[in-house]
Amino acid sequence: MALRAALLRHVRVPLQTLNPAVTLTGPKWGPPHLRWMSSHDDHLTKNEVTDRVLSVVKCFPKVDPSTVTPDVHFQKDLGLDSLDNVEIVMALEEEFKLEIPDKEADKIDSTNLAIEYIYNHPMAS
Amino acid sequence: MSFTLRSVKVPPNSVSLDEARHRVFDFFRAACRSIPTVMDIYNLHDVVAPSHLRSVVAAEIRKHASVTNPKVIDMLLFKAMEELNNITEHAKQRHHIIGQYVVGREGLMQDTGAKDQGASNFLKDFYKTNYF
Repeated sequence: MALRAALLRHVRVPLQTLNPAVTLTGPKWGPPHLRWMSSHDDHLTKNEVTDRVLSVVKCFPKVDPSTVTPDVHFQKDLGLDSLDNVEIVMALEEEFKLEIPDKEADKIDSTNLAIEYIYNHPMAS
Repeated sequence: MSFTLRSVKVPPNSVSLDEARHRVFDFFRAACRSIPTVMDIYNLHDVVAPSHLRSVVAAEIRKHASVTNPKVIDMLLFKAMEELNNITEHAKQRHHIIGQYVVGREGLMQDTGAKDQGASNFLKDFYKTNYF
């Protein structure tokens, strides 16, 4: 045991201090501020969200496509009832692959509320 | 079985029409969320679109839209839950789903009317119902 300890004390692995000038992030062949696999700025743009929401509402069979604007209220302007409202919210859930909890879904009454909610949702795609 | 747990929602009776209304919307959301599973199970991807199935479920709910007694609504919801459970646990078959929910919603009257083309609008309404 003592021999082992004595041997180990003699055989030491030399420490290597890293050169602080070497950058640790980023690939070696490009500038370090390009992050190839980051999804940091992968959010949908507001225009894209608006277009997709409006196309979902226009495809709804009870809706007249010419009356759909980004500011239209489902029950007051489009003449739908509450069940149609729930159906439109479910269609939006399917389009953007989200799952909207019931309390929030009850509040979505018009296209601009829908656009706002989806734009602010981190998981919309 | 884990998927028949959904029937637990209905037993306590609704106190008011408002609660029954919320239950109906909850059922509708559960049905819509299970549509992708149903399309996978019965292989309906080429036959129908999810939006069509959603409209069909909404139409079924709307058939009873004039009911005001919360207990009757509970009973209808119970039957609807049972049907949904049957469909999602694959107790039905593809031709049931296609016949009941995809094709012709006018019931068994499927003739395209080749012999009725000369009929007037009055006659068509008359054949459909007594009250027009």
